[in-house]
Amino acid sequence: MSGKRIWNWRVTAGFAALLALALLLAVSLGPINLGFPAVLRTLLGSRDALSPIDQTVLLQIRLPRVILAGLVGAALATSGAVYQTVFRNPLADPYLLGIAAGAGLGATVAFVLGGASVGLLPLFAFVGGIAAVLVTFVVAGARRSDPRTLLLSGVAVGSFATAAQTYLFQSHTQVLRTVYSWILGQLVVSDWPTVAWTAGYLAVALGVLFAISRRLDGLLLSDEEAYSLGLKPARLRALAIAAATLATATAVAAGGLIGFVGLVIPHLIRGLLQRATNRALPTIALAGATFLILADLGARTLVSPAELPIGVITAFVGAPFFLYVLRRGGRQ
Amino acid sequence: MIRATGLSVTMSGRQILHDINIQVKPGEWLALLGPNGSGKTTLLRALLGFQQFTGSVSMMGATIAGGPADELVNIAYVPQRPELPAGMSVTEYVALGRARTDGWGRESLSGRQVCERTMERLHLTELAERFVTELSGGEAQRAVLARALVQEPDVLLLDEPTSALDPQHRLLVLDLIRETAAGGVTVVAAMHDITLAAMYADRAAVLDSGRLTLAGQAHSVVADPAFAQVFGGSIRVVVIDGLPVLLPLPMPAASDIQGIAPVNS
Repeated sequence: MSGKRIWNWRVTAGFAALLALALLLAVSLGPINLGFPAVLRTLLGSRDALSPIDQTVLLQIRLPRVILAGLVGAALATSGAVYQTVFRNPLADPYLLGIAAGAGLGATVAFVLGGASVGLLPLFAFVGGIAAVLVTFVVAGARRSDPRTLLLSGVAVGSFATAAQTYLFQSHTQVLRTVYSWILGQLVVSDWPTVAWTAGYLAVALGVLFAISRRLDGLLLSDEEAYSLGLKPARLRALAIAAATLATATAVAAGGLIGFVGLVIPHLIRGLLQRATNRALPTIALAGATFLILADLGARTLVSPAELPIGVITAFVGAPFFLYVLRRGGRQ
Repeated sequence: MIRATGLSVTMSGRQILHDINIQVKPGEWLALLGPNGSGKTTLLRALLGFQQFTGSVSMMGATIAGGPADELVNIAYVPQRPELPAGMSVTEYVALGRARTDGWGRESLSGRQVCERTMERLHLTELAERFVTELSGGEAQRAVLARALVQEPDVLLLDEPTSALDPQHRLLVLDLIRETAAGGVTVVAAMHDITLAAMYADRAAVLDSGRLTLAGQAHSVVADPAFAQVFGGSIRVVVIDGLPVLLPLPMPAASDIQGIAPVNS
């Protein structure tokens, strides 16, 4: 390797700053508005900047929730970008490919079998997600298929998983309540232990994806070309799918089914930077975190004191964007 | 130097290649000829090391035993149906070919110069900022070739490199491959156009149902009466102005057309 890195790190730093701002904004606003300076001082360690009650609101309720939203957003955006590369399909998204629904089914099985109570939720979700992505992939006829075939196959797999999930929790009424509250978005009940296991699983999944991000560009070429450039395309693809699905499964386990983040954010960042490359993955992760933190802020405040499911906000933004990408893709 | 000895490939129980023996020297251009499905692409993939095979292939002293071509041999490959990534500019796409030398996601000054020179040579400079998905078939094929050439390979494997090109760009591309071979690169190219194969390639090997049936000087191979038989006798090779041309049968008697002499019947 004789070359130097060509990613512009100022772009990444800019998005990190945006994320910090969004985080500060999100922990300050809500039914009780906390002042920025006091919030900042408390976050930096001061124990007398806020009243004890406000301090509890900030540190035990809002902060874990906002951090969880950020983690989930980063996971969904990154895995979406990776699926788009691996399937060579600009419309690929963990939600649209049926992977999120598969993970949801896996998570429901965890609730039914009692695995959810012992921190195994993401692993069950992972098994469901991997099964879904494999079925979607095989049904669509692997990689030379039309992008829309892959999506249709994903929709069918997603519907099947959702149906199986509905059957499961209707026939196990003792978990109905838990599963429903989880489906509607678990961010509402987020606490530090949830943040901890989410961060743990994502450290592995995103760590792998960031480590291989620059080599992922090779998967945009034909397998023979990728191989001639020193890659093992099949192995790299399997690793990327496994890591992206673990990220998706963790996001689903922690936040329920939240659509479109994996579609909107990668397109936005790559469009903004005029680059198709996966070097942008860390930036995409930061932007995904920022987006979901702001979406969650919207979910908490728009109809306050009630709450909107966060998926409603992301669908409001994401569905029109999806139609736009579909239309643009159709013209090419 | 490429030397394949007793190379055979079996895929899902069907034998695609039977005991192929070929040898190509550095700077030499070998054209692979033969009908569709005769095994040309499979042979190229086996030479790349991407396709499992039995027998042996040695390249520049390194042996590829049905496995990776590893770091010893820099092989560039131009597939017949390349993937063109959505949202990627021509510049960005061509630069992917530098990954082997400069590292993925890295760029060197010399690498950039190689990319610029190659793009200029293939008339791609004015298309530099266009998305590869927006290129015409011929423009895309030139971009794919540029991606392979910036790899500065020891061995260049090409699967129908000119099939989508207009006559002018066909010659441009073949001249560039000729020039690349003259620089010491070993070239193996599956080709359909036997006129161009005879014009440009040093030697030709003819595959028929996975067997090597003819090999030798490109010119004499296509003039060999046995060559037309590979295509089931459905073609006729005639010589126009000293160049072999493949014509489908039926055709008017060659003697009726002035300046055309039949070489087989």
